[in-house]
Amino acid sequence: MLEVKDLNAFYGPVQVLHGVNLSVAASEIVALVGANAAGKSTLMFTLAGLRTTHTGSILLDGEPIGDFPAYERVPRGLVLVPERRRLFPFMNVIENLEIGAYSAAARPVARDTLDEVFQLLPVLAERRKQVAGSLSGGEQQMLAIGRALMAKPRVLLLDEPTEGLAPIYVKLLFDLIVNLRRSGLTVLIVEQNVHHVLRTADRAYVLENGRIVLQGQGESLLKDERLKVAYLGL
Amino acid sequence: MSIEPLAPPKKPKRLPVLPQRGKLSMFEIALFVACLVLIAVELSQNLRDVMVLTFLFAGLGLAWNIAGGYAGLISFGHAAFFGIGAYTSTILFVSAGLTPWIGLWCGGVLAAAAGALLALICARLRGPFFILSTLAAAEVVRIGALNWSSLTGGPEGLSILPVANVANMVFVSKTAYAVLMLAYVVFVYAITKALEGSRYGYYLFAVRDDEEAASAAGVNPLLVRTAAMGLSAFLTGIGGSLFAQYFLYLDPTFVISPELSFQFALLPAVGGLGTAIGPVLGSFLITPLSELLRSYLGNAAAGLHLVIYSAGLIVVMLYFPGGLAAALNRLGRGWKRKP
Repeated sequence: MLEVKDLNAFYGPVQVLHGVNLSVAASEIVALVGANAAGKSTLMFTLAGLRTTHTGSILLDGEPIGDFPAYERVPRGLVLVPERRRLFPFMNVIENLEIGAYSAAARPVARDTLDEVFQLLPVLAERRKQVAGSLSGGEQQMLAIGRALMAKPRVLLLDEPTEGLAPIYVKLLFDLIVNLRRSGLTVLIVEQNVHHVLRTADRAYVLENGRIVLQGQGESLLKDERLKVAYLGL
Repeated sequence: MSIEPLAPPKKPKRLPVLPQRGKLSMFEIALFVACLVLIAVELSQNLRDVMVLTFLFAGLGLAWNIAGGYAGLISFGHAAFFGIGAYTSTILFVSAGLTPWIGLWCGGVLAAAAGALLALICARLRGPFFILSTLAAAEVVRIGALNWSSLTGGPEGLSILPVANVANMVFVSKTAYAVLMLAYVVFVYAITKALEGSRYGYYLFAVRDDEEAASAAGVNPLLVRTAAMGLSAFLTGIGGSLFAQYFLYLDPTFVISPELSFQFALLPAVGGLGTAIGPVLGSFLITPLSELLRSYLGNAAAGLHLVIYSAGLIVVMLYFPGGLAAALNRLGRGWKRKP
């Protein structure tokens, strides 16, 4: 469904990703793990069409989307939940969700999507009139995911969704991801919480210094000594 | 226009006391009634003149605020849209006999087109670079107007024959102008309130506060900014036409001057950027202050009125961060806390 070939990404003159190849099949949960500064978030930004310049190709259902800006990738079904949530703190929950339903395709069905989002994330329904900045970290993360769901994604890119969350929310979040997949969504997730994410994911890629050094089934990677090497740089 | 599906529990409807985003408040209604009273009472011609200008500039500050306050497009070039509006309706009136009641919409549309074009080209720039580009664009318009004498009358300017007539939008009484300008304020204010309570307003706030997050959510930042600039320029152009009908004389050195652009930006900055009530409060404070200082002190010592005016501005900027609107809210909170 999502295919990345020979991707090099740059911040100005600095090259961060080197010849990255990866693919995500429909309804798959794929994890992307690696040490800090390995290029995980850069990869997510590049996939979403933000910040970086790149060479190589990004295909969504075979369509090259690498030259599209972010707002043209979203209506095609590729939506990023950015690191640190990036909500609009002075707007309330409903208003934040409204912004997710910007595209011409998402707008007419926004009301139904909102019902679905509220059913999936009941905490948002309770807090609908509360400004986003006053929500707890876990609630904010749910709102960030809710905002992305309002755009009717087919592939959801999650960048460190459990960062700074209470353990109960971490569990809730992984349950949610499994739920979303069951409803047909494809998920690419960047996580520091390696044990948890590798148990949930079907497959995983390990990124080190901007290169993919390892890939495999989620659970089996956990036992792989090379994973520790990639993380600790031993 | 909210997408909220489930009806929230019905509370007895009561207007909030202080201005809130997207809602009408008692404060705003009281202010409007006060303006009506002010129009009705007997005043000297000089004070009436101050009132007309205060209303006009409140409307212009509101119009600027849509771009500068809501979309984060700090423009020092709005005098160009003002000038385009003023010249369009005046040229149509003087040379083609078209009534300014229609001409002002033509001026607004032309100004909107210019604003949208400017945003398409310049809104990719950030911060000071955007500001400078708007300043430069307005200078291009001013110099163009100065030199295109066959159309604009060049440096000699354009005059409207003072034939008082409703169809000509020329009045003898300043009260009529005050009503006209107040109607303009209400028009721009209503648009501002509708905007800030709608999803288009949320898009503006989103793009202003975190462009990257807005893009990630699927919002097209350039389109949103261009629309905001177009709307802001449209409303500014209408203000320009009204100004022309009041002064009955136009010349590029004044109507397209950078000083005027700064004035449009100053009123919301003093009153409260990105709030609807801000530019109105800003104009109600600043415009009478500058006009009265000029008329009472202008002859006493050259430049003294400007010194006092500037000192006043500095005090406001220092002691009211967030503008008068924020001060009003703080006052309201303090008042509520008391038993």
